[in-house]
Amino acid sequence: MKGIAKGLGVTLKTMTQKKVTYKYPDVPLEMPNRFRGVQHFEPDKCIVCNQCVRICPTECITLTGKPNPDPEKKGKVIDTYDINFEICILCDLCTEVCPTEAIVMTNNFELATYSRDDLFKNMEWLDDNNTNVRLENSTNPQAKKGAK
Amino acid sequence: MEPATQGVTFGSVVIEAILGVLTLLIVLGFVTYAIYFERKVIGWMQGRPGPNRVGPFGLLQTVADVLKLLIKEDTIPKKADRPLFILAPALTFVPAFTVLATIPYTSKWIPADLNVGLLYYVALSSISTMGILLGGWASNNKYALLGGMRSTAQMISYEVPLVISVVGVVLMSGSLNLSTIVEGQAGYFWNWNFLPQILGFGIFVIAAVSELNRTPFDLPEAESELVAGYHVEYSGFRFAFFMLSEYVYMYAIAGLTTVLFLGGWHAPFPFLDFIPGIIWFVLKFCLVIFTLYWLRATMPRIRIDQLMSLGWKVLLPLSLVNVFITAVVMEFMK
Amino acid sequence: MIRTEEMLLNVGPQHPSTHGVFRVVVKLDGEQIIHADPVMGYLHRGTEKLAENLNYTQIIPYTDRMDYVSAMTNNYVLVHAVETLLELEIPERAEYLRLIVMELQRVASHLVWWGTYLLDIGAMSPFLYAFREREMIIDLFNELCGARLTYFYMRVGGVKWDAPEGWIDKVKAFVAHMKEKLGEYHNLVSGNEIFLARIKGVGRYDAQTAIDYGLSGANLRCTGVDWDLRKSQPYSLYDRFDFDVITRTEGDCLARYEIRLEEIRQSLRILDQALEQFPEEGEIMGKVPRVIRPPKGEAYVAIESPRGEIGCHLVSEGKAEPYRLKFRRPSFVNLQILPKLLVGESMTNLITILGGIDIVVGEVDA
Repeated sequence: MKGIAKGLGVTLKTMTQKKVTYKYPDVPLEMPNRFRGVQHFEPDKCIVCNQCVRICPTECITLTGKPNPDPEKKGKVIDTYDINFEICILCDLCTEVCPTEAIVMTNNFELATYSRDDLFKNMEWLDDNNTNVRLENSTNPQAKKGAK
Repeated sequence: MEPATQGVTFGSVVIEAILGVLTLLIVLGFVTYAIYFERKVIGWMQGRPGPNRVGPFGLLQTVADVLKLLIKEDTIPKKADRPLFILAPALTFVPAFTVLATIPYTSKWIPADLNVGLLYYVALSSISTMGILLGGWASNNKYALLGGMRSTAQMISYEVPLVISVVGVVLMSGSLNLSTIVEGQAGYFWNWNFLPQILGFGIFVIAAVSELNRTPFDLPEAESELVAGYHVEYSGFRFAFFMLSEYVYMYAIAGLTTVLFLGGWHAPFPFLDFIPGIIWFVLKFCLVIFTLYWLRATMPRIRIDQLMSLGWKVLLPLSLVNVFITAVVMEFMK
Repeated sequence: MIRTEEMLLNVGPQHPSTHGVFRVVVKLDGEQIIHADPVMGYLHRGTEKLAENLNYTQIIPYTDRMDYVSAMTNNYVLVHAVETLLELEIPERAEYLRLIVMELQRVASHLVWWGTYLLDIGAMSPFLYAFREREMIIDLFNELCGARLTYFYMRVGGVKWDAPEGWIDKVKAFVAHMKEKLGEYHNLVSGNEIFLARIKGVGRYDAQTAIDYGLSGANLRCTGVDWDLRKSQPYSLYDRFDFDVITRTEGDCLARYEIRLEEIRQSLRILDQALEQFPEEGEIMGKVPRVIRPPKGEAYVAIESPRGEIGCHLVSEGKAEPYRLKFRRPSFVNLQILPKLLVGESMTNLITILGGIDIVVGEVDA
């Protein structure tokens, strides 16, 4: 009986304490800066090096490049860039390897949709997803050099 | 209200019917907010706010839930025993509601002043067990069957100590009439039966919680083992009926505890008599209900074999001892 | 004439108490179990096979998803295996960070176990209390590595992120808070007579059986075997800390319960010391080649995860991908004793015993 009484005391005490829940849909959740949310992609920075596609553990990134429209410049520019968020695990590897920080993480995490097709995000969508962009993006020393 | 000997006229029948409907509405209102406060209180005890989305402070949450249940598709499993499956919820609910008739709220407001009120209560309430057993059997589901069997075993075993534990109270007041029992507890709060009948009160509370199938005795619907127990196959309004009868029984048991042991409408001190009896009744009633919630927020579930041995090996002998002691003491006090 | 028959009952794969998609087919005589047949594989994703086509960095996020309640220790066992093969030196600060997150993870994992176990037994509040404290750990992890469950924090050669400013102080504050809450847990549950009656003497086995079945972790220590890899085969920096290996001799569910709760306290002790010793400065990444190609050879490393001995057997052919990667998953191994324990028990004890073993289905099926 003593143990039961003690337990009852604990629950009664908790009843008077402050609630610990988040008011989530009413008040947006503030994620810490390092949070790995949905990526933001800047087409202008991309050099079509294909590193993000190669490192992706779930092969959710597909991209195509095209020759630079400016004939005086060499190299390629990005044509299409799609991330399939049905299988993306937000592991951070694509942003880690990107030499120009063209793809970076944001703190946005709300992805729920009514259709799976909506989870297939293209370049325009990823470009527009430019809020709450993560500040410290790459710990890769090479990327830091490339970003300069 | 009126003595039963008075002639039955058309007018009296209409009045009784209106009173009956009124009681039904009060009970439904109670059930709605009992569920709401149950979720709120348990929420608070767990450091969360409880339902707060539907209506101001979530007050309409239960209303929305019930509405949802009512417009849900009524599914009956193909291999179920159809007539029994349909009968079971009604068989559980009707006695739950009828037992409310004998609970005296104040000295004036007694829906049915039966001189065998207590007997009527325990006799009718045991019919509900059959509904639960039928529901578990007719669903043709193994979990439901186990739940139904457990429930029957449990309710039959705990009805015995429940009834015997109140025999002490009956001995003290010399009547089975519930309002007479309350009258006998007038005066200071130490005249209430829970102190002279402390053993009986303890047994009654344990057996009552078990009769209600509430934590820590919620084995029939032990969610973590039997998924939902006897009503695993029920949905829509049939499920609502099972839930409803469960909460109506909670109302009935809380009322009965108040009447038998907590002095009904009496104030704890005579000088507080200026406060109307109904307020005292409601206060005590709420205290009992709150205790049930509090237990639910704290307790783990007991095991079926331990439940049975507690019922037969502990509660039953103790309640018999209680009757014996009460009888002996009353004989010497005379 | 009364006719009785045995009943075949499917517990799972969708069942509230199988902790995911695990299934037990039990043959019941009334409520008594006469035969139990566990069926697993509903969450099989082929992690080990997938790993053969991935390079070492890419495998780490897959280990997050094996034992999703304790991702940090899974991260560690893989990177530890690769580092052993590479004979890499890990900077001290990185190693301390790894150790701190692993011990925090152990606390979080035991909290999840405690909450869900009590939920299985029918008490609802402990679950929410446990998750209240676990949320604090998750917030700490979120701040450190940017995820709440699948951390992907460790890398071959070190860790991805250094501790942000003030993080160490937050961990210190949490440790103090947790010590206080642990007392509250004991008050709420450990003395409860109903709870004790439910789990005392249930699912009992002796030390020899436990060793025969290859059990590890609390499932082994509950029989009195003093075996904790942190002490018996120290890895990481565990030889620098002062802590006790908790053992009981009863071998029942209550012993396992006590061990796990006591282990939270020991983890907090380790954390206290680790936070004191935490180096002010230092690298968080060792000298790792750009493409990780461990030399040809094999390595088996085992560490103490919250569930027991998690091992990683790595066979390398000198390529960027492993030739074969095999995980010794403690949940899977510990589960093997279940059919033996269930015979003769009641339906109710099925839940008690299964919960007491502490499985994570993601790890059972991998």
